[in-house]
Amino acid sequence: MVSAAAIDDSSLQLTFVLFLTVVVITLFTALLTAPQRDEISEFYLGDRAMSPLRNGLALCGDYLSAATLLGSTGLVALTGYDGLMYLGGTTVAWMTVLLLIAEPLHRTGRFTLGDTVALRLPRRQRPVRVALAVCVLAIATLYLVAQLVGSVALLTQFTGVPSGTTRTLCVVVIGVFVILYASLGGMPGATVIQIIKAVMLVAGVLFTAGWVLHRFDWNPGALLERASERSGSGLSFLEPGLRYGGTVSNKLDFLSLELAIVLGLAALPHVLMRLLTPRNAGVLRSSVVWAVGLVGAVCLGAGVLGLGATALLGRDAIESTDRTGNAAVLLLAHELGGSVLTALLTCLAYLTLLAVAVGLTLAGASSLAHDLYGGVIRRGRAGETEELTVARLSGAVIGVLGILLALVARGANTATLAFLAFAIAASAILPTIVYTLFWRRFSAKGALFSLYGGLFCSVLPAVFSPVVSSAPGSFYPEADFAWFPLQNPGIVSIPAGFLLGWLGTVLDRGPGEDPATHEEFEVRMLVGADD
Amino acid sequence: MPEFSPQRDDIPAFPLPHIEHTAPSRISDHPEFHSLRRAQRRFGVRATVLSVGGFLLYVLLPSFVPAVMNQPLFGRLTVGLVLGLGQFVLMGVTVRCHVRHMRTRVDPLARGLRSRLRETERRRARSAPPPQTAGQRPLRHGSRGFRTW
Repeated sequence: MVSAAAIDDSSLQLTFVLFLTVVVITLFTALLTAPQRDEISEFYLGDRAMSPLRNGLALCGDYLSAATLLGSTGLVALTGYDGLMYLGGTTVAWMTVLLLIAEPLHRTGRFTLGDTVALRLPRRQRPVRVALAVCVLAIATLYLVAQLVGSVALLTQFTGVPSGTTRTLCVVVIGVFVILYASLGGMPGATVIQIIKAVMLVAGVLFTAGWVLHRFDWNPGALLERASERSGSGLSFLEPGLRYGGTVSNKLDFLSLELAIVLGLAALPHVLMRLLTPRNAGVLRSSVVWAVGLVGAVCLGAGVLGLGATALLGRDAIESTDRTGNAAVLLLAHELGGSVLTALLTCLAYLTLLAVAVGLTLAGASSLAHDLYGGVIRRGRAGETEELTVARLSGAVIGVLGILLALVARGANTATLAFLAFAIAASAILPTIVYTLFWRRFSAKGALFSLYGGLFCSVLPAVFSPVVSSAPGSFYPEADFAWFPLQNPGIVSIPAGFLLGWLGTVLDRGPGEDPATHEEFEVRMLVGADD
Repeated sequence: MPEFSPQRDDIPAFPLPHIEHTAPSRISDHPEFHSLRRAQRRFGVRATVLSVGGFLLYVLLPSFVPAVMNQPLFGRLTVGLVLGLGQFVLMGVTVRCHVRHMRTRVDPLARGLRSRLRETERRRARSAPPPQTAGQRPLRHGSRGFRTW
């Protein structure tokens, strides 16, 4: 993937020291603030009295992964306009959360999404909880593996292609940190690292973007001019189609990707879990508004970084270091601020990756412990201490699973795995949320259909897509069983998930829910009990 | 129904003890409840369609009218890039409208219904409590408020 080490040795050492310092400090803080009382509410929800700004920072921290910092800036650097559109989608995604999902979900939710659905479909909640846990686990594991594989890719920027031992060591060390934060710290611990990461990320990106603009005398026109000059593609750098243009399937692929990103966020388990933590719906609203603003600012900054990388370094330098463009930001940092800024941004990337992984592990663990163990196996009779122990163990199990899979999937592409997770979220979990909240007739069978069906419809096309076989960059380049032409299954699987949910409900002949249940659910969803 | 407790009662929490709370079903017949639902849902759906649909349309536009999108406006800034920045502005405006709509149209209605709900509940609690459960009731209500730790 990468030909040579991009960055010199001194910044590697500096990064190492910085990263360890930050990790050690946050780990201590996380352990100090860790749940003391063996209460699951504290483990799942953390400090409920946090201010909107802090909640917004934590939401932003949960959402923005290293893929945004490195991947999308690289995409902007290499493909200009198409990369910028991708960044736009990352921000627009928050609108669905703010406008439709957040407050109703908060009013009807408790610890997990399974609780909301169980409130709405109490009679047949158990199979639905199992299905939800399966989908959440699939998303959490895929996204976790993406983060861990990403950590190796990041290491590659410094050392060139690492040896097997280095690679294993890197994955295991990051994975162990993730398990420590998630299992010992719980939600309070995760909140600490999310907020620290978010503050560093926002500050780091905006500072570097300001530096880039300063180089061009705060004239964005000059930046665009220079970027298109040095992009090697001239004017078409600032026109659509460099990456996702030409053929129809290319354009459909981009639409598919944007759909998954825009709709997937509203169903990502770690973001959903974070939506339940604020004290009341009013605080939640302000928190999400903060998150929208912060994510928007980071995305605009990332756009400037990507353009700046092309303008200052030229396309060839970026592409020769890493074909996917992931090195763009680090190369830019080296050009601007030497090894110190490079080390800072690399440390930031590692921290970003670690924080997202912690959020995911925690979401997976809570789903396993609360939905599967507490709700289904023990049928709501598990004691608090018991469920808490299961939650901590589940965190460790998911972490170990992620480490093992990341070691097996050595050649996997971070972006592909992450986008598949988004597609599963948008096509399996989003239909269930939307129908649960807004459709009176929705039944348990519909929920099962949309959850399992959406999962199946997004994984199957992905397996038979050019990502896995037939293309030069795929897992099995020699084999060819790619009958699905697109890299992203979203455009097929998202409508399929909604359609299956509807179909299952229409076909449901089983004992329905008590009509009063829906009425009460609706009262709680709209009126709530806040203030 | 009062606030969701962050604490867990060890009695199975779901299905919640609906049986004793028949009052909310009365609230759902209330005309104010209907206008609350309409106010919240209509705006939410419209704003989502506008912002998300608008963005997806923007993604699709270059496939249909590439010449318009590549029209330069000033310097290297093309119509496409300006529209892209416009998405961020549109989002800002939508967020502002949403917050204002919720504050002026939705929150007062919800607050009114909530106090009505509490009133009904209090009346029921006053008329109905058998002596044994009277000791449990405050405990239950206390556990429903959030703690301020």
